[in-house]
Amino acid sequence: MGATLDAFATWLHATAVSDAIRSSPWLWPWCEITHFVGLSLLVGVVGFFDLRLLGLFRRVPLNAAWSLMPWGKLGFAMAAVTGVTFFIGAPEQYINNVAFYGKLAFLLIAGLNAIAFEFFYGAAVKASTAVDATSPVYRAIAIVSIVSWFFVIYWGRMLPFIGNAF
Amino acid sequence: MELLASIEGSEFASWLRESGSIWAYPAVLTLHTLGLGVLVGASTVIDLRLLGAAPHMPLEPLRRLFPIMWTGFWVNAISGVLLFITDATTKGTTMVFMAKLAIIAVAVIVLALIKRSVFGREPVASATPTTVKTLAAVSLALWLAALITGRYMAYV
Repeated sequence: MGATLDAFATWLHATAVSDAIRSSPWLWPWCEITHFVGLSLLVGVVGFFDLRLLGLFRRVPLNAAWSLMPWGKLGFAMAAVTGVTFFIGAPEQYINNVAFYGKLAFLLIAGLNAIAFEFFYGAAVKASTAVDATSPVYRAIAIVSIVSWFFVIYWGRMLPFIGNAF
Repeated sequence: MELLASIEGSEFASWLRESGSIWAYPAVLTLHTLGLGVLVGASTVIDLRLLGAAPHMPLEPLRRLFPIMWTGFWVNAISGVLLFITDATTKGTTMVFMAKLAIIAVAVIVLALIKRSVFGREPVASATPTTVKTLAAVSLALWLAALITGRYMAYV
């Protein structure tokens, strides 16, 4: 497993696209900026919706809070595309980094939680025009979302300190 | 300059910078990132609404985002001071850092103006006039500029 991953990282590092990402002086900093803009959009929009599910901002109907979600998804896409760019540019600093796997694990939880919520409750939420509406299931989903996105950010921040990524 | 050097050389600043403890520099940087997400994110929610996204969202309840934003602001003011003292001689003499502080100062003023004009004492109108839309657009542009200059600080 470890040797296979190392071989993959070595191969990826040697590709032309990886080399291009590393050799541009401005691409990495602009990807960092875009990563943080995406983080802010995600935290703002998804965090607001989660707080609404928890019962704050009760006078905002669920469908109205949900209507900002395309912006949250845009934020996720910005962070995801730039994150993949970092990985392609310097796979060796992530592949043996425990913080990277911590981040991936919580990304998986946050992602599955969000997909399951939209799949099972998306239609109900889009039709929910009443104020005050929430439920124990919604609250549980909101708590999983907040906790898992918190740890995505925590492990992301730890990348340079626990695993020496830049 | 001597003052900056003595701040940077202080025992506390050295501990933050060099102890290697997960509770020193990494924890402060994590708080700074979380505070950023909360402040800029919540402000963005209001700005997007004012610019016409989510037109069915009632504005008045969003008033309660302000205490959340001030919390994010103070978390970042305090964690920002801690980050500054670990590298005071460099940060304290860098134009980009001064620009970042100025941008954030203006962004906070714009936030206060939005609060006064949209969430003031008069009942909140659901339609937003051009001046409010302008404030919202300026707010978004300032947060973007703050993020750009903030990220740039990692390279000086």
